Amino acid sequence: MSMDLEFRRIVLGKYMDSTLHYCLQCSRCNDVCPVNEVSDGAYNPRSVILNAFLGLKENLIGKPNNIAVWGCQICDTCNLTCPQDIELTDIFYIVKNLSVQAGEAPEYYVIQAKAILESGKAIPLQTAIERRRSQMGLPEVPTGFEDDVKIILKETELEEKLSKY
Amino acid sequence: MSEYKLFAGCVIPNRLPFLELASRKVFEKLGVQTSDAPFSCCPDPVGFQSTDKESWLALGARNLCIAEEEGKDIVSLCNGCTQTLKAVQYDIARASELEKQRISDILAKVNKEYKGSITVKHFVQVLIEDVGIDKIKSMIKKPIELKIACHTGCHYARPAEVMNWDDPEHPIYLRQLVEACGATPVDYEEEVLCCGAGAGNAKTEYGLGVLKRKLDSVISAGADCICVVCPACFTQFDTQQRALSKMVEKEYKIPVLYLTELMALGMGFTPKDLNLKYHGVKTKNIMEKIGL
Ligand code: SF4
Ligand code: SF4
Repeated sequence: MSMDLEFRRIVLGKYMDSTLHYCLQCSRCNDVCPVNEVSDGAYNPRSVILNAFLGLKENLIGKPNNIAVWGCQICDTCNLTCPQDIELTDIFYIVKNLSVQAGEAPEYYVIQAKAILESGKAIPLQTAIERRRSQMGLPEVPTGFEDDVKIILKETELEEKLSKY
Repeated sequence: MSEYKLFAGCVIPNRLPFLELASRKVFEKLGVQTSDAPFSCCPDPVGFQSTDKESWLALGARNLCIAEEEGKDIVSLCNGCTQTLKAVQYDIARASELEKQRISDILAKVNKEYKGSITVKHFVQVLIEDVGIDKIKSMIKKPIELKIACHTGCHYARPAEVMNWDDPEHPIYLRQLVEACGATPVDYEEEVLCCGAGAGNAKTEYGLGVLKRKLDSVISAGADCICVVCPACFTQFDTQQRALSKMVEKEYKIPVLYLTELMALGMGFTPKDLNLKYHGVKTKNIMEKIGL
């Protein structure tokens, strides 16, 4: 097991301007995490934080099963409970972003990102719904964001980041 | 009351237009003025932020710029959109100069400049602060005498430092609004538990597992239905109960009402006016119970 310095720098970079909050490994996050419960511990936020703070990237990325990273549903319950005020979900976003680029994201996330790339919305309008809207007397859904979204996502290189899918 | 930019999101206008219908009717009755704008996806704080934080931040900032250009605050119909827009403001305010420059360079490509000059509100906040419980009570012609499990959902008040609204552990405003409609909010153990939609994105069984824990608590409290303020929670409760019933071989069919539907019923609109027929879990039994 070896420490990935670049990974550790990114994770701890979040705390550059403030005091580093040490994780006590007290497991309060596990206790309140609903996914930890329903997965019988297969998803374990305490261990994600441990590995991230120690820079042990190989324990999180490149594993055959991506649940250790993707089990988290970002319900923000652990943030509220952590006695050290660690913003756990901020760390989870960093780890998940890296997992995406390594080609390990669950299908749902990839489908959603591609829909946004293509249409500017995670859930694009369908003709049947358009019809239903007009039957209900609702106004048309405003458009005119599509080009801006394409330009922005070109700049952030989203397509390249999704190149493994 | 000044006009808001309506941030309806993707899910409501593009999948659940009947929730937009109820919201527009209620806003009109209460004098909440809104106008539309070419907003893109908010984007999703759970999905898209997990996929690529920078893309999420930039698209969120562009949406904020549009409302800023008109000098109008945003009212949102969705917990996820509310959280994204508020979290983008929060993150940019705390970003390093380098990160701020990066975002402003990206926005410059689409001729936008982020100022951080507006306020983003969940519609519950607008109902409480701009309209007020007394006015809402006075508009209720038909008290909805049901026992209701209030579900505010995750991104309504968590994380507390970002959302800065209501009590994340014991939310009170949805209860007050439900009460104003003549209904009785029930106490139940799992009131602040997630609906499970997010967990289902990675593994269906996890999402259903969380849903089960939630619904079992709602049922044992004797609730007639669940009241939600987010289209993602609505979808999870309204469409996944069937899958859950299959998985555990026990029938779950608790009706779900979005808050503005409940209010609209109280204001005298009928289930037909509101197109309640589009609900997955049928509302017929509870409508009969209140004589509608
Ligand atoms: S609750 Fe906070 S301090 Fe305790 S194990 Fe989890 S992250 Fe570490
Ligand atoms: S945010 Fe993730 S890790 Fe934290 S409690 Fe929710 S599901 Fe568990």
